Amino acid sequence: MRRETFNPAQAQEVAAAFARHNVDYMFIGKSAAILLGYPGTTQDVAVFPSKTPENGRQIVTALRELGFEIDDRLEIEIIKGKDFVQIKNGPFDIDLVFAPDGIEHYDEAKTRMDTSSGFPVLNIRDIIASKTGSEAGSRSS
Amino acid sequence: MQRDWLTDFKDQCERNLRRSIPDRMRYGFNYVYKPVLDDADWRVFDSMEEYRKWCQEKLPPYLGYGKTDAVQSRARNET
Repeated sequence: MRRETFNPAQAQEVAAAFARHNVDYMFIGKSAAILLGYPGTTQDVAVFPSKTPENGRQIVTALRELGFEIDDRLEIEIIKGKDFVQIKNGPFDIDLVFAPDGIEHYDEAKTRMDTSSGFPVLNIRDIIASKTGSEAGSRSS
Repeated sequence: MQRDWLTDFKDQCERNLRRSIPDRMRYGFNYVYKPVLDDADWRVFDSMEEYRKWCQEKLPPYLGYGKTDAVQSRARNET
């Protein structure tokens, strides 16, 4: 489906909604790299959330508040923490990457988190690791 | 004389690092309709491997979700 409108402040909206609902996450992928200064473009926001049922429920609440249509089936998948959830029925596209390539443990990666942009962003080395970890196949956004 | 692409890329990085965070978002996030990829409300994959396989098999190659090409590999290795 083509979008009629688009707001580039989507990372800000995600961060605000996730903060309101205490979601434990970090930005990942190209959207994270852009926040850190990478001169590229993307249309979606990708986040690496902690994989717990409670965090999943908080994500669902936050996304619904942002205007995403999370039906019962999708809600279950998010709470389960399926490895990769791609959602396109909200005000912008968001990827939930519960199991990124090249990163073993969420808690360990969080100790290296970069907050220099004002957002919780995966360390640039971990972003690169998650990209190069997928080199056997293709790239995600 | 044509400048080396890696030098150009580094210059772009330095310019972008001087941008404010709102400007990085303003110029970094934009929307372009992507056929197939944008034609579903949501998708769930049991593994990243499964997602990569789906990208490889279903998405038009020009979207850039396929295998990394030689230029991209060189950029990664040299930076």
